[in-house]
Amino acid sequence: MARTATEWLEALRELGVERPVRIMNVCGGHERSISIAGLRSVVPANIELVPGPGCPVCICPEEDVYEAMQLALHEDITLVAFGDMLRVPVNVPKKDPRSLEQAKAAGGDIRPIASPTEAVRIARENPERKVVFFAAGFETTTAPVAAMLAEGAPENLLVLLSGRLTWPAVAMLLDSDKPGFDALIAPGHVATVMGPEEWGFVVDKHDIPAAVSGFTPESLVAGMYSVMQQLRDGRRDLDNCYPQVVRPGGNAEARRQLSDVMEVVDANWRGIGVIPASGFALRDAYAAHDARQHFQSYADESRKRVGEMPPGCDCAKVVLGKIYPNECRLYGAACTPRKPIGPCMVSDEGACRIWWSSGTRENVWEGRKRDALG
Amino acid sequence: MCLAVPMKITAIDGYQCTCEARGIEREVSLFMLQHEDVKAGDHVLVHVGYAIQKVSDEEATETWALFDEMLGEEHV
Ligand code: SF4
Repeated sequence: MARTATEWLEALRELGVERPVRIMNVCGGHERSISIAGLRSVVPANIELVPGPGCPVCICPEEDVYEAMQLALHEDITLVAFGDMLRVPVNVPKKDPRSLEQAKAAGGDIRPIASPTEAVRIARENPERKVVFFAAGFETTTAPVAAMLAEGAPENLLVLLSGRLTWPAVAMLLDSDKPGFDALIAPGHVATVMGPEEWGFVVDKHDIPAAVSGFTPESLVAGMYSVMQQLRDGRRDLDNCYPQVVRPGGNAEARRQLSDVMEVVDANWRGIGVIPASGFALRDAYAAHDARQHFQSYADESRKRVGEMPPGCDCAKVVLGKIYPNECRLYGAACTPRKPIGPCMVSDEGACRIWWSSGTRENVWEGRKRDALG
Repeated sequence: MCLAVPMKITAIDGYQCTCEARGIEREVSLFMLQHEDVKAGDHVLVHVGYAIQKVSDEEATETWALFDEMLGEEHV
């Protein structure tokens, strides 16, 4: 069990699977480890490691960011959000604030937080003021938001919820004509909370080998070894390569809190559209904490490019694993972490930012036939 | 936002605890682990200020060793 990454790589080479295999990961943390450790250059050449839907900030509906900004600008509230959300750009006329950060500069009381407990503290310290917590995130982040409400949040704390589930995006890809991958590395921390069983459908329904991995190079390469071995042997099972942390059933208490506080609903993904049963909404019992129930909506359907990625940004294709980050025309040219154009370059979990931060500077867009990219 | 890190519990007060890792202290909620028996000295995996799972001391040490190695190589 306790093989090192180098030993796993050796074992991977010895498996002797030579056909091209695309292994998708669906977690920004996985992509980060893969990129930083340089795993792409050391795995056998027939293996392609494809970053998939692993960035909750990237797929958070543009309308939701816009809503959060308008609440902060027009209502007498304090808006708190995880730091990554503050720089996500929305589509508005040039003179208007384009992100929460710019809305803050324009006078909105907007503060970055690192934990739901900070939202609670800020609400307690300002009992006379409404505090709106704009909460985007996948299961690992949404479960703590549920825990915060289950424990009993102050009355003046409201949640603008944009939580999403990871697996439905993978299910959507697998149900499409071109899933774009032959094997899956399932996200370790999502599975820590929700249980590895959620990913069983990949194996059972789609005959695609899958393994849950942790975040160290060795756990990731162990996962790659597992799926390649499954392919070689014609065997399929959902392997758990992170058993130290991922237990059967996940964290039962966290799951209970999550389902007590929230229900699963159809939800919109930026640049992708509505994915069935892929989002969280507060249950009626928590309506008093629901910012959507409390305030009028600022949705403006007449806004230009409402819901879309910024012009020229291929973030949605990057998220779905259709293209690599540096196949976007703007990668490293107009779009860099210093001056991000799309959410995939803003977020620490966005593949564009991860690739840039770990040293990929070459833009391979030129000369490629965009039409062939689908 | 999605990466959880192992931390050591140094003190517990109800559902709140103080955790430490690599010399950094954090207030962490144990609310999601209320079904588990956790005590000072234990390691937990912490994500956005909440402990999401218990981990062994060994796992915590190994994870940090590998993180250090990886992050040491990162150039932003
Ligand atoms: S490089 Fe920038 S513009 Fe291109 S897909 Fe990534 S975030 Fe969007």
